[in-house]
Amino acid sequence: MWARDRIILGKIGECRAIDFLKGKGYRIIERNYKTPLGEIDAVADEGGVIVFVETKTRISSFFGPPCLSVTWRKRKKLIKNALCYLARHAFLNRAWRIDVVSVKMRDNYRVEYIEVIKNAVEDEGEISSFA
Amino acid sequence: MGIAKIFSSCVIGIDAYEVEVETDISEGLPAFHIVGLPDMAIKESRDRIKSAIKNSGFVFPMKKITVNLAPANIKKEGSCFDLPIALSILAASGLIDYSRFSEHIFCGELSLDGKLKAVNGMLPTAMSMDKMDKKNLIIPKNNAFEAGVVKGIAVYPVGSLKEVLDFLNNHVDIKPARSSPEIALGAGRKARHRIDFSDVKGQEHVKRGLEVAASGSHNVLLIGPPGAGKSMLAKRMATILSDMTVEESLETSKVHSVAGLLLPNKGLVRARPFRAPHHTISDEALVGGGSNPFPGEISLAQNGVLFLDELPEFKRNVLEVLRQPLEDGCITISRVANKITYPSKFMLVAAMNPCPCGYFTDPKRQCQCTPYNIQRYLSKISGPLLDRIDIHLEVPRLNVETLSDKRRGEPSEEIRKRVDRARLVQKERYKDDGIIFNAHLESKELEKYCLMDKESEELLKLAILELGISARAYDKILRISRTIADLDGKETIEAHHISEAISYRSLDRNLWG
Repeated sequence: MWARDRIILGKIGECRAIDFLKGKGYRIIERNYKTPLGEIDAVADEGGVIVFVETKTRISSFFGPPCLSVTWRKRKKLIKNALCYLARHAFLNRAWRIDVVSVKMRDNYRVEYIEVIKNAVEDEGEISSFA
Repeated sequence: MGIAKIFSSCVIGIDAYEVEVETDISEGLPAFHIVGLPDMAIKESRDRIKSAIKNSGFVFPMKKITVNLAPANIKKEGSCFDLPIALSILAASGLIDYSRFSEHIFCGELSLDGKLKAVNGMLPTAMSMDKMDKKNLIIPKNNAFEAGVVKGIAVYPVGSLKEVLDFLNNHVDIKPARSSPEIALGAGRKARHRIDFSDVKGQEHVKRGLEVAASGSHNVLLIGPPGAGKSMLAKRMATILSDMTVEESLETSKVHSVAGLLLPNKGLVRARPFRAPHHTISDEALVGGGSNPFPGEISLAQNGVLFLDELPEFKRNVLEVLRQPLEDGCITISRVANKITYPSKFMLVAAMNPCPCGYFTDPKRQCQCTPYNIQRYLSKISGPLLDRIDIHLEVPRLNVETLSDKRRGEPSEEIRKRVDRARLVQKERYKDDGIIFNAHLESKELEKYCLMDKESEELLKLAILELGISARAYDKILRISRTIADLDGKETIEAHHISEAISYRSLDRNLWG
């Protein structure tokens, strides 16, 4: 699989995930929000809670389910990006969380399943260390 | 959402201190932090608490949770904070009105399904409730019996987190556990020892010596060849000691509670403890210690017997640390962070061979050891330690006739009656002096209480001249004679008491070495 194909796969997965979330009652505020540290796939509002969405798409399950690819480094980056968004919008005292949507696709780019992991990332002391 | 405060306690040494468990829940990325010097067990409790709350049918708030254990400068340890932390989280999320529970102390370990498990140190906690100015103690069911003996407080036994919440919100009523030290002590009186002095054939001299030792709480050293029955005799020591009084039992149970040795639903320790550590024991295991201090064998033997078999095989530093607790009846463990005092009022019973091969005093077998080896073996037991052992008993090998004798010896029950009587006499005599036993008499009190008749004074003088007995041994002989006279029911010490006492000082008589 070429690098370009992977980017396309990611984009398709992202679209499927967003549609899925909309169906679940998430109100999407931002798509591909850029910060100096990277990009947030989506920012949504679910019942007053700001949700930062990270999507993960995989075709092969050879390396395990898609959600496994959120590593420790990625987690820190997600938190930093989220804080960046919150600070820009003066939302720091709002309730917020980070959800991971894992999208598993078949070889023909059809969705096999979509799964939302709420509260996928918890603070284990990082936030106070960034502040 | 907001803040809540629940009270708990932590045990340091053998005393409990109040700990405030404060919880703040605020908006933000979900997190769960515990601050206030928690140890690993408390840090790990986060995962237990999360599961327990979820599996008890409540919602674990996905918010930013900060738990503070105050005072923040004392190191907290153990699993007893699971329950108070879980409750303060539920209180902070509005499920309980915590302000009504300022006189409650909560302790308990949670399992993943929300059930409560027994924790250590609940007796000292209950006994410190008065000091902490609290009235109600809410603890796991299995701890209720030990904590229930303390008067003046209400101990509520609970089985699960759900039950605690129902109780606090007045949905269910729980009756406080009621027992008293007397009940807790009396409950298992029939559970007596499986061993008995009547199992031992012959060795009448040694049995008598142990009886004297038990009566006056004298420390004993048994010396004899292998297979003579030293360990057998020493193990039966526990069967002739008088029953513990309520105060003694509370003292002992307190240490056992901290060490987690109290059996669930068995209440207090009834039989005097008999601790027999192996000779590979380390000094910290013997006297207590560690960076989070833990009571050692000498404290677990509080008001009972510490039996050291094969005394010279113990490491030298292990034997030397015994000196101070033997003298003072307590041991203070000082670490950089804290200082802890454990009680150590015990009777030392030690056993050893006379030489490395063991047969030096055996009439039948030839000893293989060189004088140098024997001397080195005996020098493992230092003078100061030997000094604290009043009675030295030689345990000779038994001959065939005695061994094949079908008659049984005197049962422990009979001996114990005499010991009880002698202990009562001493208690009565020393009630104003702050001591209990003859073994603890100082030279000033020796003069006051050890009155001898003319004949015994003569005998003692003769013994000093002829046997080369030191001044220190002189005091010891007086103490032992006092106990023998008490067993005899005599107020003045007579000549035959003195001569028996001298016979218990075999190491003074330079038999070997």
